[in-house]
Amino acid sequence: MCPNCQSLAWETRELTGHGVVYSYSILHHPRHPAFDYPLVAVLVDLDEGVRLVSDLVGVEPADVAIGMRVQVRYAETAGDLAVPVFERAEPLA
Amino acid sequence: MTGLRPGASVVGIGQTEFSKAAGRSETQLAAEAITAALADAGLSVSDVDGLVSYTIDPVEETELVRALGIPEVGWSSRVPYGGGGSQGVPLHAAAAVVAGVADVVVGYRAIKARSGPRFGAADVVRRPTSSHSGSTASQWCSPFGVITPASWFSFNCTRYMHEYGVTSADFGRAVVQLRDYAATNPNAHFYGKPITLDDHQSSRWIAEPAIRLFDCCQETDGAVALVVTAPDRARDTPAPVSIAAGAGAAMFEEEVASNHYRPDLAVLDSSVALGRRLFGASGVTRADIDVALIYDAFTPILFMQLEALGFCEPGAAKDFVADGNLGPAGSLPCNTNGGLIGEGYIHGLNLTIEAVRQLRGSAVNQIAGARTALVSASRTGVILQSLQGSP
Repeated sequence: MCPNCQSLAWETRELTGHGVVYSYSILHHPRHPAFDYPLVAVLVDLDEGVRLVSDLVGVEPADVAIGMRVQVRYAETAGDLAVPVFERAEPLA
Repeated sequence: MTGLRPGASVVGIGQTEFSKAAGRSETQLAAEAITAALADAGLSVSDVDGLVSYTIDPVEETELVRALGIPEVGWSSRVPYGGGGSQGVPLHAAAAVVAGVADVVVGYRAIKARSGPRFGAADVVRRPTSSHSGSTASQWCSPFGVITPASWFSFNCTRYMHEYGVTSADFGRAVVQLRDYAATNPNAHFYGKPITLDDHQSSRWIAEPAIRLFDCCQETDGAVALVVTAPDRARDTPAPVSIAAGAGAAMFEEEVASNHYRPDLAVLDSSVALGRRLFGASGVTRADIDVALIYDAFTPILFMQLEALGFCEPGAAKDFVADGNLGPAGSLPCNTNGGLIGEGYIHGLNLTIEAVRQLRGSAVNQIAGARTALVSASRTGVILQSLQGSP
């Protein structure tokens, strides 16, 4: 249900996969075997207005910053599944 | 605004020892703390007709009432979603007493957070099913390694630091004070172990840049209990303390594992609402608070509550703390038992019994003349007041 208008009408919509880092946390402890540490976890505000918990990949922990532009990629996970993670966005041409 | 009607009092407090390995069941720990609290109140198990605990508490009421020998429980409840709900225990107990559905309510929390399942361990919740403890929300965090309370909350903390220019050293100054209180509390995990700011700054990262090891509460084994009753019975007990106000706010909206989606995570909206509900309805003002017990699972949530509850402006907690206001001679002596960081983590309910001790004049780090105490767990809180003359 939509929490603003209580409508039950909904549809799926493809997003651009672009957004901005709203917050982050460099996780050191505890360490779960499924992840590489330090793990850069992020909150991403997608350009369409949705916020996600995810991970930032391909960026050194020291380089992560609030406000960084990011774009989605899909990381394989258990089974045949994939999860959306984020990498630094390509500079706009 | 509607507020909790006056009339309920905390008349007894009890606890087990706090340890790293209790060596007995949570049911036994609860039973020990409850009998201690009843003895403290001069009451017996046959007086009890109400029970309240946390949804996450492992003790089965069926076993507890049989172990204790309570003959007739007429009312019970559980408060949802962990330590942020901890002050819902005295709130529910007071509401039941004031409404007349129970005469003597026991609130308790029994936990083996050190020798049993640890909050800070790398356990992934496998079931996206709710035990009213945040596990439903975990399905959105666990796939990304965000699997502990520190990691859940650290996003909010990083944003808070970014908005207001707060540093880890700012947090460390509060921890030094908490550890100073703990150092003189024989019951505390860190009894006799004060630290310097350098010690804090060299403790290892848990969730950078907000939470170091020494910013984390101490996972603890133990139980605490309190007894709440109405004025006619409270009058005959040795040391009653009035529940002057009690409230919950945003009890579900800001559950910690799913509190990532509000527009501004640098502000605890729940604690803003809690302050409005506690101070608005009761006639008690912030200036009346002689001692504050503020839920400090991690240091940043203490800062964010100081601001949201109105003790200082948004972003000013770092200065409020640096100026010594949390200390025994400060304007708001805070977490005088050492807090959850220094004394131990009985999931927030040990803060409530420390407030009672302060108002009785029996605390280890006693604040002279304490008459009014605030206990805030960010989403739930109570204001307790001495019924007698100054201690």
